[in-house]
Amino acid sequence: MTPDAIDPRVKQAAGDEALETSHEAAPIFALHVVTKRFGGIVAVDEVDFDLEPGEVHALVGENGAGKSTLMKIVVGLYAPDEGSVEVDGEKIGFSSPRDAESAGIYIIPQELDLFPELTVAENLYVGRHRPRSRWGGIDWGEMQSEARRRLESLGVNIDVSKTVKELSVANRQIVLIARALMGEARAVVMDEPTSSLTDREVGRLFEIIADLKSRGVGIVYISHRLGEVFAISDRITVMRDGQHIETAPAADLTPDDLIRHMVGRELKDLFSRTHSEIGEPALELRGLTRAGEFADIDLIVRHGEVVGIAGLIGAGRTELAQAVFGIRSIDRGEVLVDGKRRSIGSPRRAMNAGIFYVPEERQSQGLILEHSSLHNISLSVLAGLTRMGFVRRGVEKKTAEGHAENLTIRGAPLSAPVSRLSGGNQQKVVLAKLLAVEPSILLLDEPTRGVDVGAKKEIFRLVDELAGAHKAIVLISSELEEVLSMSDRIVVMREGRFVGEFTAGEATQENVMAAATGVEVKFDTVSSGGAA
Amino acid sequence: MSVHQAPASSRVWPDSAGSLLRRFLLTPEAPALVFLVALVTFFEISTGRFLTPDNVEGVLAQVAVLGIVALGVNQVVLSGEIDISVGSMLGLCCVAAGYVATASGGIVLPLLAAVAMGAVAGGINGVLVAWGRVPAIIVTLGGLYGLRGLILIWTGGTWITGVPRESRVLGVGSTFGILNPVLVLLLLLVVMTVVNRHTGWGRNVFAVGGNRKAARLAGLPINRTRFLTFLLVGLFVGIAATVFLGRAGTVQSNTGAGLELQVVASVVIGGTSIAGGRGSSLAAVTGAVLIGVILNGMILMRVPGIWQNVVLGGLILLAVSTDSLRRRILGGRS
Amino acid sequence: MIGTFDIRRLKVPQPTRERVLLLVLIGMIIVFSIFSPAFLSLANVLNTSRFFVEVGLIALGMTLIIITGGIDLSVGAAVGFVTIVVGFSYAAGVPMPLAILLGIIAGVALGGFNSFFITVMNLHPLVVTLGTLALFRGLALVISDADAVSDFPPWFDYFGQYYLGPVPGQLFVFIAAVVGVWLILSRTSFGRYVYAIGNNEEAARFSGVPIRRVKVALYSGIGLLVGIAALIYMSRVSTARADSGIGLELDVIAAVVLGGASIYGGSGTITGTVLGVLIIAALRNGLVLAGVSGTWYPFLLGTLLIGATFINEFFRKREE
Repeated sequence: MTPDAIDPRVKQAAGDEALETSHEAAPIFALHVVTKRFGGIVAVDEVDFDLEPGEVHALVGENGAGKSTLMKIVVGLYAPDEGSVEVDGEKIGFSSPRDAESAGIYIIPQELDLFPELTVAENLYVGRHRPRSRWGGIDWGEMQSEARRRLESLGVNIDVSKTVKELSVANRQIVLIARALMGEARAVVMDEPTSSLTDREVGRLFEIIADLKSRGVGIVYISHRLGEVFAISDRITVMRDGQHIETAPAADLTPDDLIRHMVGRELKDLFSRTHSEIGEPALELRGLTRAGEFADIDLIVRHGEVVGIAGLIGAGRTELAQAVFGIRSIDRGEVLVDGKRRSIGSPRRAMNAGIFYVPEERQSQGLILEHSSLHNISLSVLAGLTRMGFVRRGVEKKTAEGHAENLTIRGAPLSAPVSRLSGGNQQKVVLAKLLAVEPSILLLDEPTRGVDVGAKKEIFRLVDELAGAHKAIVLISSELEEVLSMSDRIVVMREGRFVGEFTAGEATQENVMAAATGVEVKFDTVSSGGAA
Repeated sequence: MSVHQAPASSRVWPDSAGSLLRRFLLTPEAPALVFLVALVTFFEISTGRFLTPDNVEGVLAQVAVLGIVALGVNQVVLSGEIDISVGSMLGLCCVAAGYVATASGGIVLPLLAAVAMGAVAGGINGVLVAWGRVPAIIVTLGGLYGLRGLILIWTGGTWITGVPRESRVLGVGSTFGILNPVLVLLLLLVVMTVVNRHTGWGRNVFAVGGNRKAARLAGLPINRTRFLTFLLVGLFVGIAATVFLGRAGTVQSNTGAGLELQVVASVVIGGTSIAGGRGSSLAAVTGAVLIGVILNGMILMRVPGIWQNVVLGGLILLAVSTDSLRRRILGGRS
Repeated sequence: MIGTFDIRRLKVPQPTRERVLLLVLIGMIIVFSIFSPAFLSLANVLNTSRFFVEVGLIALGMTLIIITGGIDLSVGAAVGFVTIVVGFSYAAGVPMPLAILLGIIAGVALGGFNSFFITVMNLHPLVVTLGTLALFRGLALVISDADAVSDFPPWFDYFGQYYLGPVPGQLFVFIAAVVGVWLILSRTSFGRYVYAIGNNEEAARFSGVPIRRVKVALYSGIGLLVGIAALIYMSRVSTARADSGIGLELDVIAAVVLGGASIYGGSGTITGTVLGVLIIAALRNGLVLAGVSGTWYPFLLGTLLIGATFINEFFRKREE
């Protein structure tokens, strides 16, 4: 997605509007020194942000930078631990999204939540006062023409009598926007609105945004697509690691600047890998395709090698890994293990082929919270710990304790429910479970997400050891430092395809991020990732 | 460049008779209606006497009780729940109506007694499901046997007979030349169609059944909506009981036994999805008529009555399997 | 008990719950023996055990199914079907042992039929077993033509009416089943899989748990228990009838829920279920001895089912 794909007239019009309205009244809402913590992790760190009427204010940053969290604080999904939220100059705290909606502030989340069996017109009216006829019943004619009117005012022509399930993703998004605007919207927060849209549909969305602007509606545009960000926004704010890095008019910034701000942290040497011997290909993917998620994936991972897969949310990395593990089906392509073609239809078959996957969602996919750490560790290999079906408790305990010790799991005894452990220790339980399986191919999906620094180091050490033991490791991570420190090779994924590959020596935060966001800029290979 | 493609359905359909037909075929009740028409045509061709006004009226009168209850349970299923206590509820309401009828005659009092009884039973169901957090299957399973037990305790196992003629008017009389049961059924069908189409509660039932999470986020009164569906079932069962009392003239301790199975079968075969959020009142009545026609046809073809359960069970499995396949095919990957 | 029962011990309500149930049971026994001194006689106790073995056997299987978050409403109808298969094949000339075997196979086949719709067609167990409830009952009626068979070889009474000393033979079968299922649930990998699926089916899938296979085993397994229970029932009453077992699912599910299993899945124990079965049996027997008409029983049981579930979920929510 390059800036050129956007109609320059739209960009011009948007720019003109911005100049006219940007110096009016108080901001629609403003956040002052807002901080939010989850457990031990600071998601948002003393951030300031405000939105003027009639402006498009883009919010940019890597995965986990805190953008979504910040906006959720605005609409009342979270309460800030410190700092204040002001609306129209007054300190207000919304306690729920519905509160925010009555003040005219709407959020359009990434997951589209509509009613598939109801018509478009009806979806706009769910939960609202419906127009009534004289005799008291719902006036469908009025409802439909009003719905049609609102959609047309957004410049869109959708048959309002169709059910939402018949609509394309793009049209559903329009319906969601229209739904948000049923009340008098003054501010709309769009979270990654274009991740599933074609270029033409993006253009249409931009026309709608321009129209909203002209009506004085303020828009927060959260996106990682820098081309779009430059095409549509008046101001851009960059966040990194929960902190506010920079806010400036779009005209004063270049994509280069943005990327540097997004990644420009001191590249502390997180971890130095020990040299491991890289052997024969362990895992090979040829032309792997699954409609709507990823296409034409070719990848070779060798024994002793760590291949990092970088990319932004929605790139398809998790879907790919889950397909290799047998959770999702594959439309086309082959998976080869140690040179032999394998058909992987289920996690069990994948495990038989020596593959194991550490899921992204620890609590809903990786662990059974009600069970003990011990039981969680042994679950995947239980079949091997039994004699005639009966679990050999002593052997199980010893095996699990052995793996747990290797990882120094702390916080509660192994027999306690795993829900009692901290995030970092929970992740160690998941890894102990992985170790128990003794796979030769490891697929790690965000293994250090929500984990404290100390545990992170231990996890890195483990990965290093495993590589040294000739395991083939695929490391999916949104933390660039991690990917850069740990990988022998980095592959970048964007919108379902591999778009770049770097060796450890070639890769820098900038060129990896550039490939992930699709911005074609030249980087001076000498310039480092130092803060601008 | 993007991997995601927009399907052609985002184009607006042209307005033409052909597309009107396609729109009809996509409604929930279409398959059942088509099948019903086919079945009726078959019977008309083979017997030559099926489509006479008398016979049609007769069939509709026979399914009236089933249809009225199905209209009520349809709301529960639309909201994503289930109610298998209606058979025992019917028996209980018949007992109430029967006693009042034999004691004081008339039609108003027995009707009120039946409806009140139903409202209480349905109301308790509703409270337990909506606010007591007891799953509907447990509440109505307990109700199925519990209410039947209540009937036994109340009547002591004796029948109720000697219901005066005037109290049976909803079952055997006719008004404007139409048999009363049919009239009541059609009236309630119209009422429910209007309610489903034109009231806030009616539309909310679809929303709650279609996507409960989104309904909650949209601020819909979910508990109240669900409670009212169970209450409605109670009311309709009360009305149906008065019709039944009229037609049967007596009340036994096993009155209504097995009705719940026929009702669930009617609702799902008619086209209402067991998952909730999709269906209509017309679907429920069409389903009831279909069940009635099938069971009737079985009798005409000398198929022994003992096959009824097999047919019902098989139809339920067939209907929900088809619904599940339809959802999987049309749902696809969004 | 040796070893650590992590899951059970740490589910806070469980131990308390079983103690509460034990207290309730003891309380009931005291109350009923006041009403009718005959209640606590050995003869009566052993006599009662004859009734509850049938419910108890099926309740064992139902416990596992409910732990996974499923349910099986068709068990009563399946009992009827099995009795017909046994009775009518015998009446048709099949030697009794073979007829018995056919019955057991029929039970398992019915369970397998259920599991097909639940695992392959991916339908909700509630709706599937509602349909098969009718289907199985109907098939039983059709095959038997609403007739009954009562002519069985005398040794068949062995199943239901034999006494080992003063103790009815069925009790041994039940005890053996209780121990067996208890072992499966708490000591085998299969039992762990059952709890895993009930607590978090998605995580179980990601862990390589053979979910489909487990569910097929559960619904077919309860079919096996249904078969045995049907045989015991049949020989106790010496009749094969299509309407055997009507309402049985209520007793079974009530016992399991009373025993502490959450209807939403994830928790439940064999001990709890057994106590639940005992309480229900004591209730039924106590009422009969106290001269209360049998017509009260369905009403009380229905209320008990709803009440027990309400209490379960009410206290469960409180903890979260």
